[in-house]
Amino acid sequence: MKNPNRFDRKRLRIDHFIKWFFGSNALLAIIVLALITLFLFREGAEFFPQNLQNLRNYRLAGLEYVGLMRDQIEAHTALNRSLQDLRLRQSNALLKAGKTPEQVTAALARFDAFAAAFDSSVDELRGVISELTDAVTEIKDKAKLREDALQQRKFLLTEGKRAEADAVPVAKIDFAAQLAPIKAAFPLYQKTSLVFRGKIETLLLQPPSLPVREFQPRFEQFQKAARAYLTTFPATERKLAEWNQFAPVPWHRAITSFLFGTEWITNSFWQDWYGVLPLLTGSVMVAVIALVLAVPMGVCAAIYVSELASPVEKQLIKPYIEFISAIPSVVIGFFGVAILGEKLRELTQWQALSWISGFPISERLNAFTAGCLLALMAVPTIFSLAEDAINSVPRAFKEASYALGATRLQTVFRVLVPASLSGIVSAVLLGFGRVIGETMVVLLCAGNRIAIPDFTQGVSSLFQPVHTMTGIVAQELGEVPNGTIHYRALFMVGLLLFFLALCINWLAQAVVRRYKISIG
Amino acid sequence: MDETLKTAPPEAVAPASIEIDHLDFFYGDHQALFDINLAMPAHKVTALIGPSGCGKSTLLRCLNRMNDLVPVARIGHGQVRIHGTDIYGPNVDPIELRKRVGMVFQKSNPFPKSIYENVIYGLRIQGRTKRSDLDEVVERSLRQAALWDEVKDRLHESGLGLSGGQQQRLCIARAIAVEPEIILMDEPCSALDPIATSKVEELIFELKKLYTIVIVTHNMQQAGRCSDLTAFFYLGKLIEMDRTEKLFTNPAEKQTEDYITGRFG
Amino acid sequence: MQTQANPFQHRQSTVRFLESLASGTIRVGTYLVLLAAACIFLTIGYKGAQTVFTPHWPFVNTEFFTEKPSTLYVFEWEGKKVEMSDDRFRAFKAAHKVEDIPAETYAHSAGGILPCIVGTALLVLGSMTIALVLGVSSAIYLSEYSRDWWLLRLIRLAIMNLAGVPSIVFGLFGFALFVGYFKWNVSLMAGWFTLAFMVLPVVITSAEEALKAVPQGFREGSLALGATQWQTIRTNVLPYAIPGILTSSILGIARVAGETAPILFTAAYVVLDRYPWQVAKWTDFFFQPVQALPYHIYVVSSKIPQNEYTERMQYGTAFVFLALVMLISLGSVILRIRLRHKLKW
Ligand SMILES: Nc1ncnc2c1ncn2[C@@H]1O[C@H](COP(=O)(O)OP(=O)(O)OP(=O)(O)O)[C@@H](O)[C@H]1O
Ligand SMILES: [Mg+2]
Repeated sequence: MKNPNRFDRKRLRIDHFIKWFFGSNALLAIIVLALITLFLFREGAEFFPQNLQNLRNYRLAGLEYVGLMRDQIEAHTALNRSLQDLRLRQSNALLKAGKTPEQVTAALARFDAFAAAFDSSVDELRGVISELTDAVTEIKDKAKLREDALQQRKFLLTEGKRAEADAVPVAKIDFAAQLAPIKAAFPLYQKTSLVFRGKIETLLLQPPSLPVREFQPRFEQFQKAARAYLTTFPATERKLAEWNQFAPVPWHRAITSFLFGTEWITNSFWQDWYGVLPLLTGSVMVAVIALVLAVPMGVCAAIYVSELASPVEKQLIKPYIEFISAIPSVVIGFFGVAILGEKLRELTQWQALSWISGFPISERLNAFTAGCLLALMAVPTIFSLAEDAINSVPRAFKEASYALGATRLQTVFRVLVPASLSGIVSAVLLGFGRVIGETMVVLLCAGNRIAIPDFTQGVSSLFQPVHTMTGIVAQELGEVPNGTIHYRALFMVGLLLFFLALCINWLAQAVVRRYKISIG
Repeated sequence: MDETLKTAPPEAVAPASIEIDHLDFFYGDHQALFDINLAMPAHKVTALIGPSGCGKSTLLRCLNRMNDLVPVARIGHGQVRIHGTDIYGPNVDPIELRKRVGMVFQKSNPFPKSIYENVIYGLRIQGRTKRSDLDEVVERSLRQAALWDEVKDRLHESGLGLSGGQQQRLCIARAIAVEPEIILMDEPCSALDPIATSKVEELIFELKKLYTIVIVTHNMQQAGRCSDLTAFFYLGKLIEMDRTEKLFTNPAEKQTEDYITGRFG
Repeated sequence: MQTQANPFQHRQSTVRFLESLASGTIRVGTYLVLLAAACIFLTIGYKGAQTVFTPHWPFVNTEFFTEKPSTLYVFEWEGKKVEMSDDRFRAFKAAHKVEDIPAETYAHSAGGILPCIVGTALLVLGSMTIALVLGVSSAIYLSEYSRDWWLLRLIRLAIMNLAGVPSIVFGLFGFALFVGYFKWNVSLMAGWFTLAFMVLPVVITSAEEALKAVPQGFREGSLALGATQWQTIRTNVLPYAIPGILTSSILGIARVAGETAPILFTAAYVVLDRYPWQVAKWTDFFFQPVQALPYHIYVVSSKIPQNEYTERMQYGTAFVFLALVMLISLGSVILRIRLRHKLKW
């Protein structure tokens, strides 16, 4: 105690140190957020140059060129499928009307002959095109090898192994020369295509009449589609003739083909596409189904618990709903796989629902199954936030309303809900954020088919299997080699998800901030 | 003030609108009102005074069954009759009751809606939607509440944008828009400045021609100025009830005198 | 008196009719949610209990809790159907001196889930320790030291946003940073930090609430006696806040234990042939992958077909996991209620 001053300063210094220790810990939240952004970018950003190269190779190797032809075959296949569908419907109708299978075959003989002719008409054209396909994929594989070699060289250079890097053989590819034989096949293609068109035209001139009259409009629709299909040929030929192997691919295509690409195809012998749109629609669709179910329920429950329930009910329901929020998502997903999917399918087989188009559904795991389960996960979030919002409305409003002779629900819907609307809206937004970021349930229950659902189907389009952004990352990241374009694409999906979540969060906070004042 | 009132005993003045008969009231185990007997005549202003916590608000809220909203609150014994009907009787619907017994609160509490919507709230909940009717009611109520001239150009702005006094008059307008028979006011002026207070007081004087008014106040002058009858409460008991003039000038009870003269402990 | 008509009688009107209708709907909606959740609890409870419990002594399926998952062999032996796990099947073959018995095999359908339970416990312990240290000290700074300035607002904003980041993004992040950049590979360490960062917002928010609940008077009393800030916190704030911090961080435990996506590529493996404690060097302990309950459920519910043999494993694991997480949250609820009764300043 000789020098209390010095002693004090030491104590202060320790205090200072402790304060800085805590302060730096508090900064952690910012650091983590920054690190997430940084590392997702670090792994993902390389995607764009790689994707651009991918798109350039698509053109250079002539895949784009042959792709135009392949599209024609595909369109034919689609037409063919609709014919088969029509056949099935007819035979079902006939069987239902009490015909024996033999009678059905006899009645449909003319139709079958037509269908078979339609089917085989494409064979020659297909032959020509598949040869071209083989040729261009060969070029593409060469380009890919070269790409890999370059990649390896770059890697070795960053490691500082100059000599070894130089030793990596990098083949030169003369794309123009490689593609010459393919372009030379154009006249052959033209000839076969002309024959093919001729065949279909003659077929369409004498369509068979259908034994079941009610399908006539469908058949006419098919004929119309087939004629429309034929008219596309000249345009395609023009495109083929004008096609330029060395036309530049603009850089922004690397971004737009990711953000607006409608196909996510990986490990294909033909061409890999990394378009996030099917995944985004899948995610949004599942989330919207979930919210449509969860918002009314969550808000109902909040209203019920805060205004209508007896004290005992209140005491029980609140912790119970809290419990629901604690159910691990993987357990909910398992429940969907094991029970709910099958139960929903059984439900759609129910006779009373058969008038809905597309019922009974064929896929057990689909967007709706996942949506139902996610709804259950979103309800607690929405419930607890909405309940807070309702409870935070000043008592005075409630009393004023009751004193004017309002009933409970009038008070709820005319005073409490409007006054807590911002809270409820932000609850819904946060619920949306939770649902769109949820992984396990969609991975297990959404059906994992990468395609934009066909929304023209009405109710049954809700029952199509989809894939989601979270699901694809969880499913594919474990299987792809580091540094490949696929790997980087997955990080880009993650980055997109991250920013989406931040936006939703920000919106939810903005809603609260913007409208809170008005309640006073 | 009318002549009859100065001489006649309170019961004889006018037909009693509210009769409270041996009322006990509890919050859980805590008894807040003890054996209250009281009659409030129609078209008169009855003031309830007494020290804080003596049960004035509780009594007032018994009259339109607002206490039903308090989970622990219950009536122990006794009756409250309005126009002869026991309002805690089996066939009484509190919603119907509250439509006829309006209330104005201590702290003005307009809804976070426009002035217009605030006034017609009571009509809306009764399902009245005809625009011309509503317009008429809004103008009439706001005029009666002496607020019309101040707000007629901003009917569709938020009610929360008004000053405290204006808000309180808006709440009064809201209460009278449904044409109740009785208006209960719980310290309607306690949050207002003297000018706003005098406006509200004038208003009360006007309103008693049409309504029966019960007002809780801490302000002796106010009770003296605008009430016809005054009841003094202490610790949940009714100590004395008389014509205001009489009670203030010549109280029967010592406690009343102490309270009025400010010698109260 | 009673002859007078009652003016306050209940009146039928469309408004009142709608009122009761809407009340009914709201009630039904609420109970529907409760029912849906009850469905999950009951099916998993009912079917899982058949795996987890046995009708005779010791009433618990010990094999399920003491062994590793293994392949199930189902075969005919002397006219009877026999089911055996991998090890026992081999021992059986050796004992009966037969080369090969034709058998149906079901992956992951025999044995138990001990390594998964151990792995989940390890993940929870490690990540909660990290999260508590980091989270509580952040919370102390936020509630005790800081004034309102821009950095503080930024920190709060970051915490709020961090809470909304999808768990799979944490998984990606952990994979990129810990597994890739730090070269920790798929390991406990990587899983710990990934999970810890994920629950950080929960821990910070609840710890801050607990600190805020300590009355200001406690601090002022101490400061007025000449104590430094840290002394005040250490002696007069933290001791009173700790029960609250621990209680609400149990919620974090439930979240850490329940999440699958973040450990998918940072810590979890489908099968491992050693237990976590069977490591050569002690440092290896931190850098080994583990099995985990949620990941195991994911694997058995999506990677193996559903039939009577596999079902037992699926429901059994789901039951154990659900029961664990529910017990943890029940603990948190009960503790919170008790705390509310006990700590009234
Ligand atoms: N909701 C309630 N629950 C329990 N007790 C209550 C409740 N409201 C009031 N009390 C109690 O009832 C008694 C009377 O309260 P009341 O509000 O009627 O007093 P008051 O005369 O209006 O007082 P003030 O002049 O301060 O407004 C008080 O002792 C109070 O503590
Ligand atoms: Mg009062």
